[in-house]
Amino acid sequence: MSATTASPARVEGWRLSPVALRWLCLAILLVLWEIAPRAGWVPQVILAAPSAALIDGLAEWDIFASALLFTFTEILISLCFAYGLGGLAGLVIGLSPFGRKVALPLASSLYALPLVVIYPVMTAWFGIGPASKIWFASLYGLFPVILSTAAGVQLVDRNLITMARAQGARFWPMITEVIIPAALPAVVSGLRVGGALVTVGVVVAEMLAATDGIGFLITQYRTMFQTPQVYFGILLVLVLAGGLDTLISRLERRASRWRPQQDHRHE
Amino acid sequence: MRAQADRRVSLAQGAAVLAFFLLWEAASRSGLADARLLPPPSIVLPKVVELLADETFRRHLVITIQEMLLAGLIAAPLGIGIGLALAESPYLGRAFKPFFHFVAAVPKSVFLPVFILLFGIGFGQKVAFGVFQALFVLVIATSAAVAAVPEELLRLARANGATRRQIWVEIHWNAMLPLILEGLRLGMIFNIAGVIFAEMYVSRAGLGQRFSTWGESFRMPELFAGVLIAAGLSIIVNETLRALERRAGAWRTS
Repeated sequence: MSATTASPARVEGWRLSPVALRWLCLAILLVLWEIAPRAGWVPQVILAAPSAALIDGLAEWDIFASALLFTFTEILISLCFAYGLGGLAGLVIGLSPFGRKVALPLASSLYALPLVVIYPVMTAWFGIGPASKIWFASLYGLFPVILSTAAGVQLVDRNLITMARAQGARFWPMITEVIIPAALPAVVSGLRVGGALVTVGVVVAEMLAATDGIGFLITQYRTMFQTPQVYFGILLVLVLAGGLDTLISRLERRASRWRPQQDHRHE
Repeated sequence: MRAQADRRVSLAQGAAVLAFFLLWEAASRSGLADARLLPPPSIVLPKVVELLADETFRRHLVITIQEMLLAGLIAAPLGIGIGLALAESPYLGRAFKPFFHFVAAVPKSVFLPVFILLFGIGFGQKVAFGVFQALFVLVIATSAAVAAVPEELLRLARANGATRRQIWVEIHWNAMLPLILEGLRLGMIFNIAGVIFAEMYVSRAGLGQRFSTWGESFRMPELFAGVLIAAGLSIIVNETLRALERRAGAWRTS
């Protein structure tokens, strides 16, 4: 990312520092966004000023909060399915070399498909209640978890396995005490991608056909042309996704805490 | 020896796909799944042929392909251009790269209602949404590609008196192409999904619009056939770009 280690372009007199430029541009954008609809440059139906979005949104906070809670529950259930099934499948695929060669390309091809097209099938099967969202989002988040778990298991240091086997470890202790902890850091990225996809999956599904939830609310406000609430809803989804991502990465850091000690010894 | 192992792998993959279709057929024939909700492949596959022969459906399909290609044609030069600018100017890179990384990580599908407010529900809105989906990953891939150009090769070429043009064509281009193509492939995947999603959401034409209609009216054979066609479309795009990527990167291993 910031591999541009070349000397940070020395500011020549009038030139701003890059960071200042970035914040200045964002500030200008925000101010323009606020002024444009208020001054009538852009119709207010199309673009709501940020302040209007916040004020109108917070005025209906009760509605948003209950929808948010509904969506959050759906996300949590879907996460359990995506992580559980994806982790299990990834473990099985990663443990066998042949399975890896056969199944991994298939899984990554499936990952490349536009999975949204499955959603009408889900609503036809499970109705437009929470069940169809949970099925869809679990499926949506499944593949990155499978791929990263398989890759993580594959990368486990063979010496660890040999050593554990030499000490007479059986199948289950081998998996729970050697392979899973050793594979965890590689699985981490997959869990984050999977978590993001589950969140998007639930919200997208709610936008398409639902009776409750934040995505449903956004769509409803859009059809009624209540633009400020639309923007407020989108903002809430972004905050939800960001918060969940932070939560997942924090949990993971805790789960792989045993690692640094081992790494220090190597250094 | 290696070829034999490869053949065994592709044989097993073919068997897995075949087994999937056989299980699907068996499940809906045996009554394990309701055949009205899960029509067997023996009904769905002929439906695919029937749909592709149907002129009305072909018109929807062509619209989706046009939206997707136009979005790709806009996003590719734009994304590569921005990526190059960010990588070649340390100043711009330091100022704006974090912004692009941030937006790339944000779930972009939730912005669809904004695109409807801005661009309406027609052809242009789908294209704009496709561009939006594809752009950021491409910018990031391009600027990462510039960073991946091997420094020692550049120094070697300069020491041997290569011209600026030679350095660009022979070194930069060859080193960057595989990574840019990978970014383009990811961008196109997001683009296709975005366009179809936008059509499913609110639209008068296109593949996605058909899917929503079929789903709502429980026309399951058509729906499953359509899903297979959409999958085929994205597999074609994905595999074409992946083949180009492999060819462009072949110099690395050889």
